[in-house]
Amino acid sequence: MNNNYATLIREDRVHGSLYTDSQVFAEEMDRIFRRGWVFVGHDSEIPEPGEWVTRRVGIEPVIMVRDRGGAIHVLANRCAHRGNTLCWQERGRGNSFQCIYHGWTFGLDGSLRAVSHKAGFDRDRADLPLDRAGQVDLYRGFVFANMSGDAGSLADHLGAGGRDLIDRLCDLSPTGRIRLDAGWIGHRIDSNWKMWPESDSDGYHLDFVHASMLRAQPDNYYHDTVIGGESANISRAVDHGGGHNELDLRPSYARELAWLGVTREKVGAYCEALTARHGKERADRLLWDGPPHGFIFPNLFLGEVNVARVDPLDVGAVVHAHTVMQLEGVDPALNRRLLRQSEAALGPASFIVPDDAIIAERMQVGFHGVRPPVDGANARDGWIDLSRGRARERREADGRRIGHISDEVTNRGFWHHYRHVMESRA
Amino acid sequence: MSATELATGRPQPISEATRREIEAFLYLEARLADESRYADWEALVTDDMHYWVPKGAADYDPAERLSYVNDNRARLATRIRQLRTGLRHAQTPPSPMRRLISNIEVLAADDVAGTYTVASNFVLYELAVQAGATLRVWPGRATHRLRRVDSELRMSEKIVELVTASQPQWNMAFLI
Repeated sequence: MNNNYATLIREDRVHGSLYTDSQVFAEEMDRIFRRGWVFVGHDSEIPEPGEWVTRRVGIEPVIMVRDRGGAIHVLANRCAHRGNTLCWQERGRGNSFQCIYHGWTFGLDGSLRAVSHKAGFDRDRADLPLDRAGQVDLYRGFVFANMSGDAGSLADHLGAGGRDLIDRLCDLSPTGRIRLDAGWIGHRIDSNWKMWPESDSDGYHLDFVHASMLRAQPDNYYHDTVIGGESANISRAVDHGGGHNELDLRPSYARELAWLGVTREKVGAYCEALTARHGKERADRLLWDGPPHGFIFPNLFLGEVNVARVDPLDVGAVVHAHTVMQLEGVDPALNRRLLRQSEAALGPASFIVPDDAIIAERMQVGFHGVRPPVDGANARDGWIDLSRGRARERREADGRRIGHISDEVTNRGFWHHYRHVMESRA
Repeated sequence: MSATELATGRPQPISEATRREIEAFLYLEARLADESRYADWEALVTDDMHYWVPKGAADYDPAERLSYVNDNRARLATRIRQLRTGLRHAQTPPSPMRRLISNIEVLAADDVAGTYTVASNFVLYELAVQAGATLRVWPGRATHRLRRVDSELRMSEKIVELVTASQPQWNMAFLI
């Protein structure tokens, strides 16, 4: 069966069955997560040859590994002989991968190097490498892959908007490089994965969902950037196209370094290092603007100092896993500050995302039993409304759509691209 | 005592009265956490309290890597303040919880200084009622550092090593 996505996704509303239909989920895993570009990890996680981490691309288990020449491969975590999972740990280091079932050994590039009891083996070893991502590419250390190999270039996938989001994060480092090596914290949630690109880029919910955090943390920068009333707040919701979107907080930071919760005196050496790299004008701009709050389709969230990936498990189950940017070339105390900031914001015991998780789980419960619309009495049931701010959004010459921070510009942008992908890769 | 020393520590001889006092503290701390009596629980901690739920075993420096919880006293005060707003959706209503504590070992004792390091195993049963009703089981090992303040025991550190700590965790917005 092929779902008719045009009937489920309109410009101003989408149907709730998209969160609960396991057939939709299966099609997403193929069309979005197997045949499109997906964020996998960061090259700083595996700095040395032979280092690897286990990940998933969609629901397919993979190994992200650095070979002896320094190249990064994304290999299926599955022996080419009988399918046994090769790596069980979260991370490791070695010269090769040996399957413990029959002892086949694979190189760091996935090639089959040795077969045990080889007299009975009459194939060519070159015909039996590990399955691998058809394309792997990096942008400023962020590793992306697609399994099918026919997703076009990464630069085209990211577009100017996606590249700009990553640039604005990395440019905050005095070397231009960040590290994502402080560990990932996984948060397990009983919701569809799409709640997360939606929630992470929703600027309309903070004073309701996060009221307790805002009261407990009166100095949190969200007071200035997202709260404060519809007329007072000048932050923007931006649809960059390609499913990438942003809550642009820059216009409403009340002072420089508000995103870091310090004054210049506390991090003087960092500010000087950034000035040395970029010049005073641009460095001052970066220190005021801070890192972006954006979502890169389909699974990468840049949440100020945090970086999160969305790992779908099943139609109603997801892991929202996060780590924190660590800056190269700064005092370790600054990186420790970033770690503490991240622990407060994201993760299962943090002050922010557990409340989003409850909303996502309640939405998932709310859509139980909703059936795709058919002609007749229930055609009006089970929709979610995403019309907010349609009339006041404006379209830039470069194609971006920009609206008020509380408008559903971002969500409409996500679904517009989602529908395009689901239809064009049918 | 480092985490490694704690893991291999031998129980220390202490008086029966002190052992009972320590056990009574652990049971009280558990009951207040189970019943989401946040202010009463907070009254048990010292001014230099460290509350740590590591990712994986407690074998790393929490300053240098991410943890589920890594609260100093000020951060812990924020946590309690948030829970007490009544708007913390992740614990509204609070999860009904009960935990069992066992295998209590006093691994370090200094009666003169009034400091004790106590390890115990626990199993916490939580009914997550905020978006449905799901029974979750949280097994683990707790390490308490206790200190006598004005003749009463308080805790200056609580480390919670979950059996599942290497894996993604469900909402953990309660006091564990």
